[in-house]
Amino acid sequence: MEEKMNKNDKRYFGEFGGQFVSESLMNTLKELDHSYEDAIHDEAFLKQYDYYMRQYVGRENPLYFAENLSREYGTKIYLKREDLNHTGAHKINNVIGQILLAKRMGKKKLIAETGAGQHGVAAATGAALFGMECMVFMGEEDMRRQELNVFRMKMLGAKVECVMSGSRTLKDATNEAIRTWAKTAEDTFYVIGSAVGPYPYPKIVKEFQSVISRESKQQILKAEGRLPDVVMACVGGGSNSIGMFADFIEEPSVRLIGVEAAGLGIETGKHACAMALGKPGTLHGMRSYLLQDEDGNIQIAHSISAGLDYPGVGPEHAYLKDSGRAEYVSVTDQEAMEALMELCRLEGIIPAIESAHAIAYARKQAKNMGEDEIMIVCLSGRGDKDVHTVADYIQSQK
Amino acid sequence: MENRIERKMKKLKENGEKAFITYMTAGLPDMAGSKALVKAQEEAGTDVLELGIPFSDPVADGPVIQNASYQSIQLGTNLKKVFGMMKELRAEGVQMPIVFMMYYNTALYFGLEQFVEECIASGVDGVIIPDLPLEEQGEIKEALRRDGAPILIELVSPVSAERVPRILEGARGFVYCVSGMGVTGQSGNFHKKILHYLTEVKKMSKIPVMMGFGIEQAKDVAPMIDVIDGAIVGSHLIKLLEANEYKPEAARKYCSNFKKELNEL
Repeated sequence: MEEKMNKNDKRYFGEFGGQFVSESLMNTLKELDHSYEDAIHDEAFLKQYDYYMRQYVGRENPLYFAENLSREYGTKIYLKREDLNHTGAHKINNVIGQILLAKRMGKKKLIAETGAGQHGVAAATGAALFGMECMVFMGEEDMRRQELNVFRMKMLGAKVECVMSGSRTLKDATNEAIRTWAKTAEDTFYVIGSAVGPYPYPKIVKEFQSVISRESKQQILKAEGRLPDVVMACVGGGSNSIGMFADFIEEPSVRLIGVEAAGLGIETGKHACAMALGKPGTLHGMRSYLLQDEDGNIQIAHSISAGLDYPGVGPEHAYLKDSGRAEYVSVTDQEAMEALMELCRLEGIIPAIESAHAIAYARKQAKNMGEDEIMIVCLSGRGDKDVHTVADYIQSQK
Repeated sequence: MENRIERKMKKLKENGEKAFITYMTAGLPDMAGSKALVKAQEEAGTDVLELGIPFSDPVADGPVIQNASYQSIQLGTNLKKVFGMMKELRAEGVQMPIVFMMYYNTALYFGLEQFVEECIASGVDGVIIPDLPLEEQGEIKEALRRDGAPILIELVSPVSAERVPRILEGARGFVYCVSGMGVTGQSGNFHKKILHYLTEVKKMSKIPVMMGFGIEQAKDVAPMIDVIDGAIVGSHLIKLLEANEYKPEAARKYCSNFKKELNEL
């Protein structure tokens, strides 16, 4: 009877993952897993997903050789341009997949949580495209920081539910989405935006985001005739990074580096480094590394980037860290902002603050690399949504 | 020693009585006030008390208990202090079965072995963990396999369906039937097939069947009274206590009325 946690349990990545949800959601998760497995082995479904990726999202997007950045730092730096997707970030890859699944399951309504608003915008966009009702949960603090995205979601016809509990950011928006889902699962599909949550969500999100590495691999082989030496992406919950890593995990010659947000600096306590300082625990239906206080309560994460200030991380990342397959590092708000400004000037690309974290670490990593070595950095989103934050930051530095 | 919950259930059955179970968040209005409220409820005839261990992210709870948890954490309540309170209550003669209602992370962080040890030492009779479904219970059940360890109270929901027999298989004490979908404190929002669902669980269960979530007055459970063995009240009691400055007298009055009315239904 007791199904002990072990490596043969498909719901787990090593000791991480699982389904820490209320009893009333267990059949919902089972139904989701069956429907997903059925869909992902159905040619017609895959064809449909591929169609929307090409015709609607605008894939494949370029793997751009960042000439000037490469020259500046003395190694070959390629940027995977997820910022060029429709809606401006990688989030849409997963949303289209999940909504197609929701339709297949006969669900009429969607709910989603959002931090920076990119997943919320993607969900609102998909809901408009497929004619579904959509409610997006967003913390009050994030609504303030990402006003533009709030407006975009409303324009797209979604209802934005302001979450006033707890930290009023992504963590609590997720709590509220889970509560609403528990009430309405019968006709409502919960579109989770990151590689987090109870099984099978981390698996589903990874699958739909793995298009990032699938394309990158082919593109780099075409451009360079070989695999990259380093693949890098920022990590909040971990969706763009798991997508960026996916097809390289089985390639031992490729170093995988995830970049967390160190906020004001790890030593200040105001950061979002669940991997560096977190301990294993359970939140949002999963067991993973989490920032916790001495009583096991979840701590509030801090980052200038609304998309990275999440106190946990997806369970597969926790496993990749423990198994040593991937490395996790961090950069501060200041380092990210410097990298953001530099990318604007050197390459004419305004990255999202989230993605700027990966760029910031790429600059550090490049110093240890030779001229002929190759690094791919996931440019997960564009920075239009962040111009207010950037302006405030510049002002505060004067 | 026989578990206090099981002993109480046996006694209720002998007397042909329905159980009245309450929930209150530990640490409100403060530790001393919480103790006074526990004692008042025991005197009023409450059969089992669930003591809520506050957690930062109570996803199974509605706004009332969320807010109570938040306030209690702000006042410095933690698991260690609640164990301390339990020891005092037992030393001061409280005999009522007491169950911890908590989220898994709180026990996990404390360390499961140590958690069970403290439960035994302080007289905790059961634990209810709403974010720990059957499939994830292996680890804690291992830790609970000790003399005098608390019972892991199992929860079932209106959509548990074919899962019910598996859940009931090793269940002890009583089974907690959640009355509707969603979170605590949604009054008058019982599942549309509530009676059918409770009847099915009752048919399969060797242990008493309790109904909770969204109950305010004894009459709320009148339509199910022939099926269930008792009722659980949480959010409503918290609201009532808040409105009455956590006076033990308010708890006493409410609990003795409910218990009386429940057994007159």
